[in-house]
Amino acid sequence: MVKLDEEVDAKVDEAIKELFNSEKPWITIVWDDPVNLMSYVTYVLMELFSFSREKAHELMMQIHTQGKAVVSTGSREEMEHDVARLHEYGLWATLQRGDQVI
Amino acid sequence: MTTDSGELPKGFNRHGSNDYVAYFSTEEREVLLNLVEQIIELLSERSDNHSDDPLAAMVGITSHDSPPEDDVLLRLLPNAYADQVDASEFRRYTELTLRTKKSAHAMSMRIDLKSSTDGCVEIDHEGANAWLGAMNDIRLALGVRLKVQENSQEELEILAPDDPMRGVYAVYSWLGWLQESLIQALMNDAL
Repeated sequence: MVKLDEEVDAKVDEAIKELFNSEKPWITIVWDDPVNLMSYVTYVLMELFSFSREKAHELMMQIHTQGKAVVSTGSREEMEHDVARLHEYGLWATLQRGDQVI
Repeated sequence: MTTDSGELPKGFNRHGSNDYVAYFSTEEREVLLNLVEQIIELLSERSDNHSDDPLAAMVGITSHDSPPEDDVLLRLLPNAYADQVDASEFRRYTELTLRTKKSAHAMSMRIDLKSSTDGCVEIDHEGANAWLGAMNDIRLALGVRLKVQENSQEELEILAPDDPMRGVYAVYSWLGWLQESLIQALMNDAL
């Protein structure tokens, strides 16, 4: 095992603590796209996130009229998983920290 | 494009409790096969070359950390982050999986079409999701090449009657209609 000096040790501890106690969750954003059908976007949101039809429709309309919508929030790892699944079905999705300007 | 014996086009319909059925004419089947095979080909072109570390490939890490230069591939395999460094890192660890999943959707659609002798395709819920994903990838690819915008229908109106792009638009529109029929059959299930 590599022996870390105390100062580095303390810094690592702090970084780990910050990671686990972060109050700034990550978000997944779906962007508007001229090709994807409105019904398809609604269906994919229902399938992937188990949203009700109403909730999925509401998010789809937000994407369509405002250009984007936050579809999920959580840890960075969870959002990366969500983005990967959305990409699998051709939705245009990105993730970022929740406190960043979209 | 029409269906057999001049009947009205039907697209996909629900059949029984879990299945979805569509009947395709020989020409329609050929068009779908041609398109889905092009998507499979396109995704495989992006595949890693032999010089890659086999161990890295085994755990799903690819040598690709820069986005595809081709606009169609970039739309099929988009960046997950606005930040380029984060996007590259994410791509390095996930792009192979994404390509594999998209290819699997397309292969599933191809097998269903290939194994159909009378133009009838019958798929379950999982198969329907694969078809939706594959049809959507085809539409995304055509959409990029056609430079589709929200008001593309208006642009189509001003194309000359003999413009070859009209034919591509026709296929693109037909695919949208076919995809819509499957979504409606699936959504009515959810009621």
